[in-house]
Order: sequence, then structure tokens, then C-alpha cells
Amino acid sequence: MFNINLPMIIIVLAGSIATMIPRFIPYFTPIIDKVPKKIKEMLKILPIAALGALIFPFSIIDFNPLWIAGLSGVIIAFILGYLRLNMIISILSSVIITYILLNIL
Amino acid sequence: MDKLLTKKEGILDGFPIFLGYFSTAIAFGLICRNINISLFNTTLISLTSFAGSGQFLMINLLSNGALLFELFISILLINLRYVFMGASLNQRLGNDITLPQKIFIAFSTTDEIFSVAILKPQQLNFKYLFALELTSYSGWVLGTVVGYIIGLALPHNLQLAMAITLYAMFASLWGAETRKHGYKIIFIGMISALVNSILILGLNVAIGWSFVIAMISATIIGSFILRGEHV
Repeated sequence: MFNINLPMIIIVLAGSIATMIPRFIPYFTPIIDKVPKKIKEMLKILPIAALGALIFPFSIIDFNPLWIAGLSGVIIAFILGYLRLNMIISILSSVIITYILLNIL
Repeated sequence: MDKLLTKKEGILDGFPIFLGYFSTAIAFGLICRNINISLFNTTLISLTSFAGSGQFLMINLLSNGALLFELFISILLINLRYVFMGASLNQRLGNDITLPQKIFIAFSTTDEIFSVAILKPQQLNFKYLFALELTSYSGWVLGTVVGYIIGLALPHNLQLAMAITLYAMFASLWGAETRKHGYKIIFIGMISALVNSILILGLNVAIGWSFVIAMISATIIGSFILRGEHV
């Protein structure tokens, strides 16, 4: 084991390697050929399943105590996304609503 | 049949990620300055890791005097989710992707890029991915530098409001997917939101782990909810 008094460049590189190992494995090892079809099917649901956890709880925590502002921004973006509006319009509307609520709450 | 994905579409899809990354990276640059990491090293971290939670974890551990070994293992664990994301994304790539292109794609598999790319109905080509990833990457690196240099000068409420961009992007994708595949999609997203919230707020589970657990449990439950349906 090493002490952290190492040159910063070593620490930076260690961080990069630790990030890149899991990123590179699926592209360069036949990990996916070995998994059963059932798991492959599940991998299709994974991105949808990830969305909820990417939004909550941090869209609430980041804005605490004005969490209403964060939650409103999320709900507006969801509705506009459902209505098939361009993603940039959904996001800008969400930022504007959140900004207004942060200022009036 | 759907049209082929273009470079322009990649830039357009990358723009919201650019905004979100830019504002998040400002915070990263700011924190690094506060704990006396040089501008050069701070920028180097963002250039070589390109990872939100991983980088915040890294400087957190650094400032708490962690060992290099601990740092390495923690970052590895928090990034474990990329194995699943990469496996999923890799299946959607065309056969004409070359080795250097694959290296670039692997390097820049982040949560946000993954979520945007994987939900495209078309096959993923390099032109599109390159534009999407470069747009996002430049937001991350630029934000880091700007945050280090001027972070404190931005009005607080504006900084905070910009933090909604990434969540808004995911919410908008969630809405669009619900429209496409039906209301059950709302429940699958809610399961992972609920599991993640309980693990983080109630049980103090580390963020990297709770995300992996939430994502996998919602996927498993989701596969029962959607049994027999084509996603």
C-alpha cells in the first residue's frame, strides 16, 4: 500500500485507470457473448430502469430546502418529454421554472 | 425505417449534457481549488477520468487522507455500473466501428451519454457518438477550468437552477419513453428512484453502490412487469 504523499500525477492516473477498467471491459472482452439470452433481454430494460435513480433523490437533495423547485423542474421536463417536445425546449423550460421558483419561494 | 444518425444530431443531443456537465464541473473546479490542487492537476483529472461521481469521490477521499489503494478500489466500485452500461451500448454499435473508435467510445461512456445514446431507435454510428461525446466532454473540461477560475462569481440561484439541467434531461427522456412504451415505464423508473432514495437517505449506502443496486433491482422487477413485451 502507498501513502497519499505520492506525486499528484500518480493519484490522477490511478483515478483514471480505476474509472476506465469498468468502462473498457464490456467493449473489449467477450463478456456479453457469455451471458444468457434472458440477461441480454434485461439489458434492454436497464437504461429505463437507470433513469429513476439518476433523477432521485438528488434532484430533491440538491435543492433542499427549496426542493419544490427541483421537483417542479423534473415534472415539467417529464410532461414536455411525454408531449414529444424537443429535448432542449423541455430542458430550458425546466431551468426557467426552477430559476423562477428559486427566486420566489 | 429510421434515418441514419448524423453528426448534427449528436451535437444537438449533446448540448443539454454540455450545459449540465458545465455547471456540475464548475463545482468540481471550485472544490479542487479549495483543497489546493493545482489548476493543471484539476484539469488533468477531468481530462483523464471524465466521471462526475468518481471525481467527486476522488477529491473527497484525497482531502480525507485516504490511501492510494482505498482510492483506487472506491473509484472502481463507484464506476462498476459502466460494465452494465457498456455491455448494453456495445450491442447497439454497428459492425464498421474500428478499434480506435471503440477506445474513444469506451473512454466516454458516462451515465448521461449512455442514457441519451441507448434510447435512440437507430443503430449507433461513430459520427453521431463522436459528436455527442465530444460536445459533452468539452462541457465537462471547460466547466472544470471555468469553475476553478471564476466559480464563486456566478450568482448562487443561477448556479443552482443550472443544476436541474441533467435531471431535466433524464425526466424528458423518461417522459418520451413512457409515451413510446406505455405507462408501465413510469413504474419501472419509480422503482429505481424509490430504491435509490431509500438506500441513500434511509440506509446511508454509498452512492456508487446504491445506484448499482437500484438500477439492477428495477431492471429485474421491470423484466417481470414487461414480460413478453418488446422493448
